[in-house]
Amino acid sequence: MAFCSPHTTTSLRSPCTTIPNSGFRQNQVILFTTRSSRRSTTRHGARTFQVSCAVEKPIVIGLAADSGCGKSTFMRRLTSVFGGAAEPPKGGNPDSNTLISDTTTVICLDDYHSLDRTGRKEKGVTALDPKANDFDLMYEQVKAIKEGKAIEKPIYNHVTGLLDPAELIQPPKIFVIEGLHPMYDERVRDLLDFSIYLDISNEVKFAWKIQRDMAERGHSLESIKASIEARKPDFDAFIDPQKQYADAVIEVLPTQLIPDDNEGKVLRVKLIMKEGVKFFNPVYLFDEGSTINWIPCGRKLTCSYPGIKFSYGPDTYFGQEVSVLEMDGQFDRLDELIYVESHLSNLSTKFYGEVTQQMLKHADFPGSNNGTGLFQTIVGLKIRDLYEQIIAERAGVPAEAAKV
Amino acid sequence: MATITTMAFMATFPAPRSVAQPSATLPSRPSVVSFAARAMRAHGRRLVAVAGSPSTPPELAQKVTESIKQAEETCAGDPVGGECVAAWDEVEELSAAASHARDRKKEHSDPLEEFCEDNPETDECRTYDS
Repeated sequence: MAFCSPHTTTSLRSPCTTIPNSGFRQNQVILFTTRSSRRSTTRHGARTFQVSCAVEKPIVIGLAADSGCGKSTFMRRLTSVFGGAAEPPKGGNPDSNTLISDTTTVICLDDYHSLDRTGRKEKGVTALDPKANDFDLMYEQVKAIKEGKAIEKPIYNHVTGLLDPAELIQPPKIFVIEGLHPMYDERVRDLLDFSIYLDISNEVKFAWKIQRDMAERGHSLESIKASIEARKPDFDAFIDPQKQYADAVIEVLPTQLIPDDNEGKVLRVKLIMKEGVKFFNPVYLFDEGSTINWIPCGRKLTCSYPGIKFSYGPDTYFGQEVSVLEMDGQFDRLDELIYVESHLSNLSTKFYGEVTQQMLKHADFPGSNNGTGLFQTIVGLKIRDLYEQIIAERAGVPAEAAKV
Repeated sequence: MATITTMAFMATFPAPRSVAQPSATLPSRPSVVSFAARAMRAHGRRLVAVAGSPSTPPELAQKVTESIKQAEETCAGDPVGGECVAAWDEVEELSAAASHARDRKKEHSDPLEEFCEDNPETDECRTYDS
């Protein structure tokens, strides 16, 4: 018995067919479809109609990030590009890490922990260690979602540190898996249509964690430092190597515009885009494949200290051909943003100024005035473009078959 | 002389209750400051004012503090063992959870904002940029 999920909106043009199903007994079945006006009611095991909506098979995106899941800024920007606000599932576990919007569902890979907090303490392993995660279950469930089936996914409660009862996840149009190990397991990696790695350098990580944790009464500079240092070996061994598999890497480094800056407010951000990925055309500046260094501030645009500096060029990253777009500095005004946007190419925007509009929409998000926000927004647009191309390809295939 | 002292006495006499109501709050504020100032001078400690930033829910804050203490204890004995590393990982996990809780609190602090997110077309939520 298949029913369309309650999240179906009129924009989801899935073909619904009715199949007469004799032998299926049900007292009363009332079915409504948004498109067709067919309504069938039946009593006491008479001929019943089974409406099945062909569920779109979702595209799966992987995001590797160390900053916790689901509620991160990147995810909110991503879901905003696709439309709609992403929220935790209503009526479910309040500590669920899942985010659901009209088109997107984001799940946290921490939900696939095989050991809860006590278990990890006993065994002396961190959450970064693959031993603490159930990759078989992860693979099974991501595979099921990709095939259009609903899954019962466990919940890892970050507050209690326990594994809570499972929640039901319906296949959405775009399924994002966010966490520490999206690309660790080879089988899961093969299921991903696009993968992103958020690479924060140590200095920036330290500065951000200080900002985040100094508000906590128990923390001190030493405890924050000790925490980062203790996790570093596991991080370098298990998480960092995933970079080489990512289709796009956003690398965040300290700025080169301010000597000896240790506040981490002005950032140098690199968007490393793999060449030759299907449906993914890297963003470029002025001339694709050439090396450009660009300072937009000058006669036409006045910027305040420390200004903005861009560079673009081809490079190799772990032995693979990539294009790197880099931004150092920060935006202070709207016209700086729109000026920069008008000079970038292959942004996959639907209208002029879409990147600026998205950045303004979330002007209160961290990173809205520097490369992190800019590149996260651009990656979001690229994923939307990828999604549309995949859907077009899927729709094109039956047409091709029909032609022959 | 007597009249001057009487007048001085009258000046320091607290205002009758019925009149004092509207200004009842005013005298209290300076008294707090003066008390704090006295405390500062007395103990020589620096008073840090926390300006209305969203605070972590107390149970979570407590958990973070405890986990840090425990991590420091575990690592004092064995700085490179698995237990020490796992203890600091727990601190990181709880700090991240605390930071998420603070963000959530900030988001849900204004009921009108929340309502308007879901219903931007209602009269209360209409915005006009022109």
